[in-house]
Amino acid sequence: MAKRPGGELATRPLHFIWIADCSGSMSIDGKIQALNNAIREALPHMRTVADENPNAEVLVRALKFSSGAQWHVSQPTPVADFKWTDLPADGVTDLGRALGMLAEQLRIPPMSDRALPPVLVLISDGCPTDDFNGGLRMLMAEPWGKKAVRIAIAIGEDADTEVLQTFIGHPELKPLQANNPEALVRHIKWVSTAVLKSASAPASQASGVVAGLNVPIPAPPVTAAGPQSADDVW
Amino acid sequence: MVTPVTDSALPAWRTLRASVRGAAHERAGLPNQDAVRIVRLDAGRALLVSLADGHGSAKSFRSRSGARLAVVVAQKVCGHLFKLDRPSQIKRWAEEQLPLELVRHWLEGVNRSLQRQPFTSAELETLDTAARQQVESYPSLAYGSTLLAVVVAPGFILYLQLGDGDFLTVSAEGEITRPIPQDARLIANETTSLCSPKAWNEVRVRFQTLAGAPPALILAATDGYANAYRDEAGFQQVARDYWELLRDEGEEAVRPHLKDWLNEASQQGSGDDITLGLLWRPVAQF
Repeated sequence: MAKRPGGELATRPLHFIWIADCSGSMSIDGKIQALNNAIREALPHMRTVADENPNAEVLVRALKFSSGAQWHVSQPTPVADFKWTDLPADGVTDLGRALGMLAEQLRIPPMSDRALPPVLVLISDGCPTDDFNGGLRMLMAEPWGKKAVRIAIAIGEDADTEVLQTFIGHPELKPLQANNPEALVRHIKWVSTAVLKSASAPASQASGVVAGLNVPIPAPPVTAAGPQSADDVW
Repeated sequence: MVTPVTDSALPAWRTLRASVRGAAHERAGLPNQDAVRIVRLDAGRALLVSLADGHGSAKSFRSRSGARLAVVVAQKVCGHLFKLDRPSQIKRWAEEQLPLELVRHWLEGVNRSLQRQPFTSAELETLDTAARQQVESYPSLAYGSTLLAVVVAPGFILYLQLGDGDFLTVSAEGEITRPIPQDARLIANETTSLCSPKAWNEVRVRFQTLAGAPPALILAATDGYANAYRDEAGFQQVARDYWELLRDEGEEAVRPHLKDWLNEASQQGSGDDITLGLLWRPVAQF
């Protein structure tokens, strides 16, 4: 057969970014270790979902915030090669700074306009100590920030769910509450599988017809141990 | 598959088209939701190539029908261009009235379809409560589709586009242009659509009076094609390569391979349905 017209073919990139709270309070009652374990346990499930859709190239990164913010894994890494190094916990909760750094990475370029909607997963146990609204404004000023699938997980009763809901930006999608390690594992697995699968499906959506999410997100699993359960430790 | 159009006043345009089911659609058991139509207008003196891409999301469960309706409506509405006399009238009608007429006829077609075949419980039961309410209050959402159309006539070329997808042209010198620029809003699989509110405001029209030489090749494609390439340069190369193959080796160098090439692009690239329409002038026309 004659040579196929055109340049190099490529599957569509899907950027999946963990945004992890590493403030000092995360060191209490084993929260940070539970988070490290949950993400590590979720990786094989992420790889399975990614393998089921060979037309999406799942690229994973991680951003941590405490006193300031820093890329924990800065390079978009194919999920097959992604390894989780434990996060330490210390300092305050500079979430605004983290969102500003995220905004820089979601610009076009370095992002491509042919990408699939990025998935941003924010996990926090407290209240921002810096300019959260300023950081969120920077994020939402970027087209990919606005179009990203934004998920939030609240660890423990002290997490500021109002802030997390503002980050999500869609009233029909609520922050997921994790008051014990099992719930955290369950939520992390859900975003790593069900949400990832939805974001990697290429169906188009008509814009401006109805308000709501640009990526249909399946219902999260019913929490077996709800708030104020006897199993709660956070 | 190949439609030659000749007239003493019109260069001999030739056409090719192909449409393939996306690799992701095959895995999900979904049909090809694109549509393509090539017809002659104005007693054979003009040619219309129209493509439509049904959205394929859960809420747009009749988008395959919506896409087929879109290309039929394009034929009906673009036929009116040739009832007008002067190029200035045609241009004005195309820019001001044609978008309204396209959307109006498409919505009428949707309503007729709904009267004949109301939504079934099987169609609606796959939706969650919120999605079901949205479709019931906004039924045209179920038929959502984009539309790209190009009319080549002796005195003008008209491009129109609603939603994502791409036009590329190649000059006889090999220069690539986009007659309708990319819409920066259309990322993340969101697209303007025939079912959008006031969709006529989203129709982009480019009317070119033919004073000099027309393009050597015009390429129209649904977004699954451009999304299959790593970058814009790689996609623009598609048009240049088609033109060089057709110019140097003729139609037989392209036609038998077209579906295989599109399948390869979907499998190794976007995973989406891909539909392509090519119009070109054989080299003897230069």
